[in-house]
Amino acid sequence: MDLSRRRFLQAAVLTAAAAGATAACGGGSASSGSKDSKNLTFWYWAGGLSDKVVADAKTHFSDITLKTSVVGGDFKTKLLTGLRAAQTAPDITGIKGEDIASFLPNANRFVDLNTVGAKKLTPDYLAWKLKQATTQDGKLIGFPIDIGPCATFYREDLFAKAGLPTDPVKVSAELSTWDDYFKVGVELHKAVPKTYLVNNIGSVFSMIVGQGTRRFIDEDNTFIGDQDHIRTAWTTAVKPYTLGIDAKINDNTWNAAIGNGTLGTELGAAWHALDISNAAPGTKGQWRVASLPGGASNLGGSFLAIPATSGNPEEAFKIISWILSPENQARGFTDAALFPTAPAAYKLPALTGGDAFFGGQKTIEIFGPAAEKIPAAYEAPADAAVSAPYYAELTSIEAKGKDPDQAWKDAVSQAKQIAQRQGVK
Amino acid sequence: MNGMNRTRLRGLGVHVILMAGVVISVFPFYWIVVMATNTSQDIYRYPPKLWFGDNLLTNLRHLFARMDFFGSLANTMIVAVCTTVLVLFFDSLAAFAFAKYEFPGKKFFFGVLLSMYILPTQLAIIPQYEIMVQLGWLGTLKALVVPAAANAFGIFWMRQYTSTSVPDELLDAARIEGAGFFRQYWHVVLPCVRPALAFLGIYTFIGAWNDYILPLVMLVNPDKLTLQVALAQLYAGHSTDYSMVMSGVLLSVIPLVLVFTFFARGFIADATKGALR
Amino acid sequence: MSSSPVAGPAPTGPTSGPGTGPLGQAAPDPSRGPGRRAPRIRPVSAGPRPGPRRRVLRHWPQYLAISPYYLLFSVFMLFPVLYTVYLAFQKWDGIGEMQFVGFQQFRFLWDDPVFWMSIRNTLVIWVLSTVPMLFMALVLAVLVNSTKRFTAFYRVCLFIPSITSLVAIAIFFGAVFSNNFGLINAILRGLHLSAVPWMSNEWTIKLVIATLMTWQWTGYNAIIYLAGLQAIPSELYEAARMDGAGPVRIFFSITIPLLRPIILFTVVISTVTGLQSFTEPQVLFGSDAATNPNSGGPGQAGLTTLLYFYHQAFDNNDFGYGAAIVWAFFLLILLIVLVNWRLVQRKERRP
Repeated sequence: MDLSRRRFLQAAVLTAAAAGATAACGGGSASSGSKDSKNLTFWYWAGGLSDKVVADAKTHFSDITLKTSVVGGDFKTKLLTGLRAAQTAPDITGIKGEDIASFLPNANRFVDLNTVGAKKLTPDYLAWKLKQATTQDGKLIGFPIDIGPCATFYREDLFAKAGLPTDPVKVSAELSTWDDYFKVGVELHKAVPKTYLVNNIGSVFSMIVGQGTRRFIDEDNTFIGDQDHIRTAWTTAVKPYTLGIDAKINDNTWNAAIGNGTLGTELGAAWHALDISNAAPGTKGQWRVASLPGGASNLGGSFLAIPATSGNPEEAFKIISWILSPENQARGFTDAALFPTAPAAYKLPALTGGDAFFGGQKTIEIFGPAAEKIPAAYEAPADAAVSAPYYAELTSIEAKGKDPDQAWKDAVSQAKQIAQRQGVK
Repeated sequence: MNGMNRTRLRGLGVHVILMAGVVISVFPFYWIVVMATNTSQDIYRYPPKLWFGDNLLTNLRHLFARMDFFGSLANTMIVAVCTTVLVLFFDSLAAFAFAKYEFPGKKFFFGVLLSMYILPTQLAIIPQYEIMVQLGWLGTLKALVVPAAANAFGIFWMRQYTSTSVPDELLDAARIEGAGFFRQYWHVVLPCVRPALAFLGIYTFIGAWNDYILPLVMLVNPDKLTLQVALAQLYAGHSTDYSMVMSGVLLSVIPLVLVFTFFARGFIADATKGALR
Repeated sequence: MSSSPVAGPAPTGPTSGPGTGPLGQAAPDPSRGPGRRAPRIRPVSAGPRPGPRRRVLRHWPQYLAISPYYLLFSVFMLFPVLYTVYLAFQKWDGIGEMQFVGFQQFRFLWDDPVFWMSIRNTLVIWVLSTVPMLFMALVLAVLVNSTKRFTAFYRVCLFIPSITSLVAIAIFFGAVFSNNFGLINAILRGLHLSAVPWMSNEWTIKLVIATLMTWQWTGYNAIIYLAGLQAIPSELYEAARMDGAGPVRIFFSITIPLLRPIILFTVVISTVTGLQSFTEPQVLFGSDAATNPNSGGPGQAGLTTLLYFYHQAFDNNDFGYGAAIVWAFFLLILLIVLVNWRLVQRKERRP
């Protein structure tokens, strides 16, 4: 319990010395330190890339020491704070699809990839996806990792139990509109009472919004979140709640629900397959993929970018383009369900083969056509922030039983305020 | 006889209620061990397993594969130890000046100490963050240690103790022998205030160990996290694998609780004295 | 609660009884140390009064001794707090140029339903936790005080929650109250009751957070009350018993009034820390999704004001708005503490 005086002094002196030394080193590294051209730091998030491809990149670029970090928590927050100072910024970073628009106003924080060799590669990649990462004056700040063509994942075994069609082609035909989809959900829930159609109505809303060409803010920086296209999406999304086929899951119990048959279907992008197989490895073979009701939609799909402070942008882009080559994208599809952004990859065996988790189904038959039909929508920098109240209010309906019409009014008025705060007209 | 029984019965009732309180206080630690030693399937199952399993090593293997546990542990240790040593040194020195000396402005300085004690840290956190950006300290452990070294409570606490427990005769004697301020501090004050330093040390150490918001904001570099931030991120990203996350919780909580139980009696007495002052 | 591990054994004066002077001038403490109170030493203060400058200079060791704290404090606390005021009048994304916007941020704040909801959430959680916490703490303290056996054991066990990492405990509560596979719902099922969706209902979310805080701080407050109870001279009790007062009467007419300063202290501390809840909802409802519209859980039921502040400042990079939120909130805390203080003090004045 007692501290000896001598030991206390030693500790104090050591600490002071250490603090001084680290301060000196820290000061040094601020200017030069980690910003050398041979040691590159690389941030992404769990499941954001194929870990195998990243590992291969380390050996393939043997003259570069590539230090990868799988960043946990809120990636955008980490990246924003990291970018503030040269010595904390990574040399290569992932950017999530829903965040890319919010980074465009600060494009000067990133290397324009067209200046380091992206120009001659862009024809091989999906134009609409590249456009998401392009500023109005033509700077390209991100190179696309994947896209998120959406589909309906469904439990074949539960569909069979309910006497519904089970074949993906038939199911796709059966689910051509949202109302058809909800009708199937009612039948499913009647036959298997513990099974619900959707995990929450926010997911339905985001799918429907993604099916349109207009979102919450238009190209003139005007708020359009109170207009018919959003209102229709809202009304449609609330239907499963009123029909009693909404599981109302808004927390981590999704993980259990997906495995224990609470959820009969799951709406999601191609990469969502990884979430499902991770959360419920026991349901292998029971899931199938059908096309999304009401048309194609995109959700997410990420980018790789090079912060302006990067020690070696040329080499960094070589690494990016290697990781995102069609061949490696095909591996990314196998390992991490990342749907390629280079159409050349769609013909490779990794994509055309069957997926054991989906009972051997060739999922490209669903995702491929969906990818081609994705509408190119304008996503404003403030889009994600402005859309937040809609999701919060939809959850309020589920959590508090709030009246949907009141929730709509509140969502719109809050969204307008946020838009005003963000400088939207 | 009857009255005796009633008293005894009442005594028993008191202990039953108190034991219930103890069980509630301690139960989470038991349950953390249960979850950490079983598989996630055992935890999800109904009825759940109520006793320790043998899956701890597997859980730990998964844990170490998903997070740099020992790196985070080392960072946490560095922050907690450095903060503690700096606080002990700065605060005991300042407390000596406040307790045993008169100097112009003393009242003012002490008053500032008092009034600023109530400012919540969150009020300062945005500019603190900007300062760290400017100093180039963002993402380093210095960003946590240096601000935490200014600890008003420690000065209060040490001043209180110094003024009552350091005999003025000893200081006078040292002064007659020609000892200046710092020699008095070193040879007279420090030996006398060791018990108070021990309490302040444990208190500061636990505080630094458990701190969350400052590391959450300052440690942007994913390779340099403290245990608390790393655990919270692990939980956010892998909430399915409860048993794995719980093995990390177990490792992060148990050492501190053991150390505390070891020092507990003196610490609790000091803590309440501090509160009652 | 805030980052302080042991809800700050506050050294300051709210409880200064008659024995403690203003600015906490120490009462002699017979329990430790030689404790002889000699007059304050004024080194070399005899002789003619020197000029003010020389007086300051002569005390350089004292100024040097207190300088580390005041230097660090000015740079990392005082300046930032003032700068936060400045920021509240700017629009700033942390990267681009700052833009002066006058009172606009406060106008937004006034009209922002989410801000007011976060205040409501914070207050509800605070009441749900503080009232049972302090009540149970008082009961536990009286019980421990009434017995002579195992008291050391009780004290240690009751104190342990307060030194436990909040992150670890939040994760634990997340697991135990989980809707689908939590222990609590398993117990309910065992009792043939229907499971409660703890983590998705507006009220149960607040209840879970409040339970967490109650679990963590009840024992700590009990230990503080216990110390206060032990300071009450036993003659008072004996005299009351001689007068024929029963235990309940004694509790309300002797224990409670004499404990009042300590109760005031625990109320103030629980208010300051309870209103600053941040880690609990942040860990419980954190996610690795880039945009998390449901920050603070389903229906934002666990969105406390500090969590909202954190999201606006560090997720949305709206630093000006964040600064406005945190300052408005600080003033609110101050107001509530003052009201508390006045309420308890007024009662104290009553005969």
